[in-house]
Amino acid sequence: MKTPALELINVTKRIGNKEIIKGLQFKIDKGEVFGFIGPNGAGKTTTIRMIVGLMSLTEGDIRIHGKSIKTNYKEAVREIGAIVENPELYPYMTGWQNLKHFARMIPGITDERIKEIISLVKMEKTIHEKVKRYSLGMRQRLGIAQALLHNPSILILDEPTNGLDPAGIREIREYIRALAKEENVAIIISSHLLSEIEQMCDRIGIIKNGELITTQSVHDTEDEEQSKTEQIFLFDIKPAKKAQEVLESEFDAEVDHKDGILTVKTTRENVPEMIKTLVKHDMAIYQVAASKSTLEDKFFDLIGENIIE
Amino acid sequence: MSNFFKLIYNELFKIFVRKSTWFMFIALLIVLLGMGFLEKGFGDDYTNENWRTELEQENKNLQKDLEEDDIEDSPFYDFAMSTIEENNYRLENDIMPLSTGGWSFMYLTASFLGLVSLFTIVIAAGIVANEFSQGTIKLLLIRPIHRSVILLSKYIAVLIFGFITAVSLLLLSLGVGGILFGFEEHIPAVVIENTEGLTHLSVLKETIYGYSFYSVNLIMITTLAFMISAVFRNNALSIGVALFLLFTGNTVVQFFSDKEWAKYILFANTDLRPYFGGKPLFEGMTLSFSVITLLVYYAIFVFLAWGIFTKRDVA
Repeated sequence: MKTPALELINVTKRIGNKEIIKGLQFKIDKGEVFGFIGPNGAGKTTTIRMIVGLMSLTEGDIRIHGKSIKTNYKEAVREIGAIVENPELYPYMTGWQNLKHFARMIPGITDERIKEIISLVKMEKTIHEKVKRYSLGMRQRLGIAQALLHNPSILILDEPTNGLDPAGIREIREYIRALAKEENVAIIISSHLLSEIEQMCDRIGIIKNGELITTQSVHDTEDEEQSKTEQIFLFDIKPAKKAQEVLESEFDAEVDHKDGILTVKTTRENVPEMIKTLVKHDMAIYQVAASKSTLEDKFFDLIGENIIE
Repeated sequence: MSNFFKLIYNELFKIFVRKSTWFMFIALLIVLLGMGFLEKGFGDDYTNENWRTELEQENKNLQKDLEEDDIEDSPFYDFAMSTIEENNYRLENDIMPLSTGGWSFMYLTASFLGLVSLFTIVIAAGIVANEFSQGTIKLLLIRPIHRSVILLSKYIAVLIFGFITAVSLLLLSLGVGGILFGFEEHIPAVVIENTEGLTHLSVLKETIYGYSFYSVNLIMITTLAFMISAVFRNNALSIGVALFLLFTGNTVVQFFSDKEWAKYILFANTDLRPYFGGKPLFEGMTLSFSVITLLVYYAIFVFLAWGIFTKRDVA
């Protein structure tokens, strides 16, 4: 059996009498992008702080490629690159000075490697300016650069697209996917933006009140099993009224009619048949789409409202 | 090992890359220049030819003042008596008094060592606390280096900064003195009193001794500031407490001087000078007593700083 890149074993954190993290347990494989989501105050950042060694564990263990963060700290942490919360760098130093500073703390990082990373995050033009003059987006890029300097095999990004413009977000997203696929880096992304997680991650873990409620694959819809479970499809069709009658009578499906769009609850494998039938009835189909809000619905089903208890 | 030097280099880099650090050295230079011009205007000006007659004249004047005043308890009496004594010693042993010149200026400006303490305290107070207030501590501590090693590199950087600042004071004072007055033909001597009476010492030696003895005070107060910085992660608190103690330390000792435990106060022990030919501050204090007391304080500071910094969660 291969060792996972990161393994949390019954991780518990108590501060005073309060149990902030309650027996977290999950694994992340090499090359996997894992999304960590939950409402504010759920324990995302606390968990990340324990993984990188900023906070101690009350109980349990964290293993990085099998090495315990408790007993083998140096070797375990060597594998990790991270941004924890905001990328806070030395404001009075330039981007280059900041990167050099962190490079000196790990043996074997050459200036060539630093330059490579700088061009990767596209900061060649601003690297010699002081960080206090950077925009939030530039700081975020520098933060990512800092995390990647030593070729970590596990990358931890806390809200990585915070402050980036849409083009920047897209770049980061593509870069994260490439890192996972080509370099086999395990990546953990925490976020409260579901759409972001959906686009970047292979798997998500939902955390609430310090407990991991569920982990699930993002690309569930492509699974065999998934095509047999019911979900919502939107039919843009004319005439809608007649189409509703046809679908209800011939497929026994739950259909709602709203603003000329039909909302149909059915399984994925039924959809082609439905379209064929509707075409036979001589109707004009403009668009059929699976409702994108499924993950969001699941999220809110699981965590309830955005309440900090 | 070379990795550890890189950590110290990092810390020193972060100190010296900031403009505020350079203002400290500029302030040092300004103070020295100010002192230099004062000295040029009002300083004693003895020459090789006239100093003997000048000292004799000075003694006569003092003698006359004493006869007129006739108050044996006044501080002036002590001052006048010791001045007369010193002048006589100089005349007997043919030692020219300090005049305006580079060497004498270096000796005089050793009294600005308090500024070195002040600046080093500011650096020590900020070196841990600022990482917390900037939030950079998180990125600093997620490297594969134990926290105790990072803290040690910071502590050593503070001590190096203190050393650099003290040496800067010495060299700048020589430079300013040399440029303003030129150097004396012979290195002048100071007359000091020890248990066997009066003796004399070249100002160069005396200055080096002064700096060396002062370093004990500097290290203790800096370590205290560093400890507060590491424990409370608060820059202002650390500067405040350390400066308060720096300025009031001796007063506190005086205030409690009638108490039995006064000799255990840190600042009753930071000046080791009296043990080398002087009178100890309190009856029964010895060099080994003071050294042990200092070591105990030092151990407490270090224990608290390391114990808490390496154990506590970084939130």
